[in-house]
Amino acid sequence: MTSNRVICVDIGSTYTKGAIFRLAEDRFVVEARAVTPTTVDYLPDGFFTVVQQLSPGADWHNLTAADAPCPVYFSSSAKGGLKVAVVGLVPEMSLQIARLAAFSAGARICASYPYRLTRSCISRIEKAQPDILLLCGGTDGGNERYVTENAQALAASGFNGTIVYAGNNAAVDRVSDLLADRELVICENLMPDFGRLNIEPVREAIRRVFLDRIVSGKGLDRLVAAFATQPVPTPLAVLNLVRVVGENIEGWQNFALIDMGGATTDFYSFADAYNPDSGTIMKGIVEPKLKRTVEGDLGMRVSAESTFETGEAYLAAVSDFSTEQLAALKNYVMGLTTNTGHLPANAIEKYYDSLLAGACIYHSLMRHAGSIEEVFTAKGRVWAQSGKDLRRVSRIVGTGGYLAAMAREGSAVAIPDRAVLPTEKTPLLPEKFVYLTDNDYILPLLGNLAEKFPRQCALTAVSSLTVTQHYEVKEPCQREFIKA
Amino acid sequence: MSATNIVLGVIGFDCHSVGNKILEAWFTESGFKVTNLGVMVSQEEFIAAAIETDAKAILVSSLYGHGEIDCAGLREKCIEKGLEDLLLYVGGNLVVGKTPFPQVEEKFLKMGYDRVFGPDCSLEKVSEMLKADIAAKAR
Repeated sequence: MTSNRVICVDIGSTYTKGAIFRLAEDRFVVEARAVTPTTVDYLPDGFFTVVQQLSPGADWHNLTAADAPCPVYFSSSAKGGLKVAVVGLVPEMSLQIARLAAFSAGARICASYPYRLTRSCISRIEKAQPDILLLCGGTDGGNERYVTENAQALAASGFNGTIVYAGNNAAVDRVSDLLADRELVICENLMPDFGRLNIEPVREAIRRVFLDRIVSGKGLDRLVAAFATQPVPTPLAVLNLVRVVGENIEGWQNFALIDMGGATTDFYSFADAYNPDSGTIMKGIVEPKLKRTVEGDLGMRVSAESTFETGEAYLAAVSDFSTEQLAALKNYVMGLTTNTGHLPANAIEKYYDSLLAGACIYHSLMRHAGSIEEVFTAKGRVWAQSGKDLRRVSRIVGTGGYLAAMAREGSAVAIPDRAVLPTEKTPLLPEKFVYLTDNDYILPLLGNLAEKFPRQCALTAVSSLTVTQHYEVKEPCQREFIKA
Repeated sequence: MSATNIVLGVIGFDCHSVGNKILEAWFTESGFKVTNLGVMVSQEEFIAAAIETDAKAILVSSLYGHGEIDCAGLREKCIEKGLEDLLLYVGGNLVVGKTPFPQVEEKFLKMGYDRVFGPDCSLEKVSEMLKADIAAKAR
């Protein structure tokens, strides 16, 4: 085998998936794929099973990077991924930025608290056992009281994970003294001035902690040593893929990606958050161009019950179901949470699954998107925007096993163009877009190549997608703006 | 000793931005670290900025005549958020019509503002007062 081939492996919580890619001119071609159940106790076992199947010619168990037939890259979301707790100051300012930063590092947020950590917050953090706690608050030279008090509370707690501090730089010494006996990583403030975002250093710090700390468990360190490559959290691989597509491919400057799984729905967007020429006034922070949100209560199996609870009003509104029919749907959902491997057996169950998928998409999109409201002033009408403007998004990509399967079977997926349920403000949803699906479910694997081969990886990704549906809003919500 | 943080902005749905820029330049020149929130600022945004920056004063401007309704309740919200000691200054064309300034001043002092200014006040005096008021609070 020659070195124009690469192997990518993704160690998921249930399955370990892999593919061997061949670089043909400007893009990759999939040569073979393999999948095996994840060996939870010792992850390399499943990893080697997959690699051996993909490239049977070599004795992978006893190889070193130098004599491997081709490079190997891998990502992992085993053990439920990277768990992060976030502690900030004002909910819509430093705490919101910290959440964006943690999500963009590929983390799952298990707890987030503003202002002062109370005893009950501390005990919930101790119970949730996050891998990392991200502590922040205060602009540089700003508020010191909350971060020092929270550092004090953490010092007295039983939490023993790594603490990443990204708050007021004036409080660094006090925080370091207070947390002297903890694993503490100090990085730049994620909001050095009020309203200014500085997410990159925190992302990098979380990535490094992931390598140092998370990787050492479950045998991943052996793979790192053997293949001289560093794993990324699976969602970060997907995020990197979204970035290289947006940066390299013509016509993909405004797009979104939905990764819907059994437990969570991840929503990614690559789009300008605020378009000043549209005559709106921005309230709060201008969100980053590349944004990821994770909805832990929205999923097709493990989280089916909470999806039903969150989405009950939506489901009732879109399905025209009677009370009895809704009860039957609920019954189906309750069955899913105990039997998470269930596949729809008949037409009605398929319809149920597509309704559930619709609820996941609806709520994850509504939470990811910003909104505008019309306000009347002495000078006339103006629009006040908060959150991210997704109106220019022209493509939405669906990935994950469920969306891929639905696309292959030709069952439609509902993507909302407006609020189905009454809302106070008008959501800034995509107005005209193409829905494409990752029918071969290749994107997370491909994401492993994003850093090393950005352009080839991006080209492969967009050419592997299947156009599934066209959406166009009949009456775009607010096209006409009055200059403020 | 680093510069004292203050928060500046035009409250409510008021879009008058010229005076706001002048105030930002003036107070920066006078040695303050100014977080300028610009125009159309809500009470909640003033408070969020004051907490994160540990500001010693909020300077509220209102030019369009709705100042009375926009400014009411800011002091109470500050107290709710733990900012009991924060200085609140307000200035501009605070009410519509030809109400004599002393009456306007009295009204806003009652609302809990520490200092009230008309449209023609001297900025030099304002920054002197601000420095003195902040020093007095610190004692």
